Amino acid sequence: MQQILTLQAKEAMVLAKDVMTAENRVLCGKGTVLTSTLIERFLKMDIVQLTVEGHPISSPGEKTLQEELQDIEDRFSEVNKVPPLAYLKKRIMKKLVESRGQ
Amino acid sequence: MEDAKRQEFRAALHQTKNLPTLPGIVAKLTKMADDPDTTTEQMGKVISQDYILAAKLLKLVNSAFYGFPQRISSISSAIILLGFNVVKSLIISASIFEVMEDQDVELWQHSLGCAVVCNVIASRLGVKDPEEVSTAGLIHDIGKVAIKMELPNEYEMINRLVRERKMSMRAAELEVLGLDHAEAGGWLAKGWNLPKKLIEPVSCHHDPRQASAEQLNSSIIHFSDIMIRGLGYGHASDNKVPMLSKRAWDLLNFSPTDIDEILEQVEEKLWDVKGFSLEIKAEDTAQATG
Repeated sequence: MQQILTLQAKEAMVLAKDVMTAENRVLCGKGTVLTSTLIERFLKMDIVQLTVEGHPISSPGEKTLQEELQDIEDRFSEVNKVPPLAYLKKRIMKKLVESRGQ
Repeated sequence: MEDAKRQEFRAALHQTKNLPTLPGIVAKLTKMADDPDTTTEQMGKVISQDYILAAKLLKLVNSAFYGFPQRISSISSAIILLGFNVVKSLIISASIFEVMEDQDVELWQHSLGCAVVCNVIASRLGVKDPEEVSTAGLIHDIGKVAIKMELPNEYEMINRLVRERKMSMRAAELEVLGLDHAEAGGWLAKGWNLPKKLIEPVSCHHDPRQASAEQLNSSIIHFSDIMIRGLGYGHASDNKVPMLSKRAWDLLNFSPTDIDEILEQVEEKLWDVKGFSLEIKAEDTAQATG
């Protein structure tokens, strides 16, 4: 999932988290497919951020999936032979790949 | 570090010449809590006198960071619902927000992330008052701030070793100072008169075997530090995942399913907390300029 500005939202994106009002009420549930009407409504209500499925927006300077996976390898480089940590690394990598929608 | 210099550093930490101090309210409340005649209302009144702290406390209570199921709107209700120890931890947390956010944003984010993992693990293990463990997670690297502020030259040497020789921060600290940030953090926490429940997990987070009374809590901080570094959330001076203590792992006794579920919960909470941290900052700026 990815946190984006409502201004960056496009039709057909899918909410990965509920959109809440300032009073902490659910305005729109996760799993909802965005439409232009819905996006306009969020903007009118001053909802500035949304969390959507996948990783639809890439920002300048953002690392590629391969670079991020390499970073994880680097972070775990000294503890690769410790079974629980090797498992942790594997799961973190898997979740990253999933979060990028791949 | 020579013994004399070590003592000098320790004394400097006690005087906290350059380091921010925790509000006197923490000591005052601890004293009140020891008095059996103190009422919840009296305590609530003392906290409410510092209205900025009271506001921050309520915000923290109602944030995703702790995620209590019901909305808490007054300090007295917070004490009744959560208990005094939790509220005290929250006050310490609210104060540490200021101390650390100003110093090093990346380290702050690492600490915040570590506190989130601590909370998830402590709740899962059924530890009493998981918020206290979160607070210990939040301050586990406070020794790094202490070294940076009290020994700037040595701090620069340590960072050079980390950069040039790709050493871990802790190994570089041991080489330059003969002590590490965990020990320094323990001294500082002691100087702040924090309870032993918080001091030991700070001073023993790299080696929970050293803890006399708080081995489980120290192990939770130890593994939370590992997990949050593994996730790459924030930055704690070097990017390496530290070695897992066998003692900690034996105590935690997690199965692969446990790890999967913890990761799932942590990622969910980190999304919420990310916004929360910025929110506090934005308000601080507004207060300062407003």
